[in-house]
Amino acid sequence: MRPFDFSYILRYVCALVPFIGRTLQVTVLSVVCGTVLGALLAWARLSRFRPARALSAVYVHVIRCTPSIVLLFIVYYGVPKLLELAVGIRAGYNGKLLYVAVTLSLLFAASMCELFRSAYGAVDTGQKDAAFCCGFTPFQTAVLIIIPQAAAAAVPVFCNEVIALLKQGALAFTIGYIDLMGQTDVIIARNYGAHGLETYIALALIYWLLSLAVGAASAAFERRTLRGKSVPGRNDSEWN
Amino acid sequence: MELNLPFLEKTFFLALRGVPVSLEITVLSLLFAVIPAYYMALARLYRVRIVSPVISVFISLVRGTPMVVQILIVYSLLPSLINGIAAAAGSSFNVFNAHPVLYAVIVFTIHSSVVLSEVLRASITTVDRGQLDAAYALGMTRSQAFRLVIMPQALREAVPNLGTLTVDLFKETSLSFLMTVQDITAIAKIEASYGYNYIEAYIDIFIIYLAVCSLVQLVFYAAEKIMSKKPVG
Repeated sequence: MRPFDFSYILRYVCALVPFIGRTLQVTVLSVVCGTVLGALLAWARLSRFRPARALSAVYVHVIRCTPSIVLLFIVYYGVPKLLELAVGIRAGYNGKLLYVAVTLSLLFAASMCELFRSAYGAVDTGQKDAAFCCGFTPFQTAVLIIIPQAAAAAVPVFCNEVIALLKQGALAFTIGYIDLMGQTDVIIARNYGAHGLETYIALALIYWLLSLAVGAASAAFERRTLRGKSVPGRNDSEWN
Repeated sequence: MELNLPFLEKTFFLALRGVPVSLEITVLSLLFAVIPAYYMALARLYRVRIVSPVISVFISLVRGTPMVVQILIVYSLLPSLINGIAAAAGSSFNVFNAHPVLYAVIVFTIHSSVVLSEVLRASITTVDRGQLDAAYALGMTRSQAFRLVIMPQALREAVPNLGTLTVDLFKETSLSFLMTVQDITAIAKIEASYGYNYIEAYIDIFIIYLAVCSLVQLVFYAAEKIMSKKPVG
């Protein structure tokens, strides 16, 4: 085996940096689509219409029980087949970005459904009654009263889910999408398998930095919204 | 373009043979993770000098990088490392004969000790600090207080999170095919590769994971129900 060489880590970090964009592209697309789908699911879950509630609950359960890589392959091999059967379009296996984004959106939607549900539940119902007494319309109540309070509780969890999504995106290389992870494989193949460890460490460092950046954004938001408030259940400091 | 049903059925039963392998990796990793996770949680709670920041960095590293990358790093690092240690110790252990499950268990133990330590830390903070003071007042040592007073209450709080952790871990063992482990995913994928029946194979894997994960969730749900009825003490 070749000796481990630290200088290669820096070299491969530089080689991988241009591919951050492709990872972020998929992540942002999935976060947007997944959030919309998740909001719909949460709305169905909170509705009075029983079949809608059941459908949403089953969806979340099934997604929670499916490994991301399995869902990715079911989407990758299944969607083209379905399209061909349903509308006669031969989608082929190109446009891998879309298959990855669809998979990640489906995964993210389940987490978002749970997030919206718990965030909605975290706001005291008295707030809604008070808004009603003040003559607010349901729309005003949602936008001015419920959402700002729910968001404060939801943002840290949201950021955690975004990090989880970012990490699941690394599986896209298995269908041949060239993002950070995919490019890592390309680099290693070009070196005939040499310096694999250094390349993977470079990749891990980039992912770590991306996760830390999302975490820092979450912490900054928390500091802004929780200024001067004590949060129940956060008595870490008491344990010292 | 239709599903190959005989293949679907045949592969389903073949892939079922991978279930014990996946469960084995999950259970062993969780068991091996308990002790490191407990001490990592305590070190962080008590902000032990030097140790606590190091653990924080480690936790952030493991939580901030994808599982695939961790697997690939450990899998390209460990064999030569173990070989070196074995050679230095003068043992005739040949690393190429090592069972791939060994690597899978090591990777997933590292991963789950980090996740478990976060779960334990969060659950310990839900216990009122006064409980610890009361235990001290009764003359208990710190380890007695944790074993007899704090942890039983903390674990009860942790049950739902432990369930999530177990399900997530079981799902992630589907990546152990990267380490040539013959688990559910690997068996079905190999079967599929003969005739390009990937969609059928992945449907099989999907059904198996859905069934096992649902079962695991039911077990934890039942545990939660039982624990919430019984008063601790």
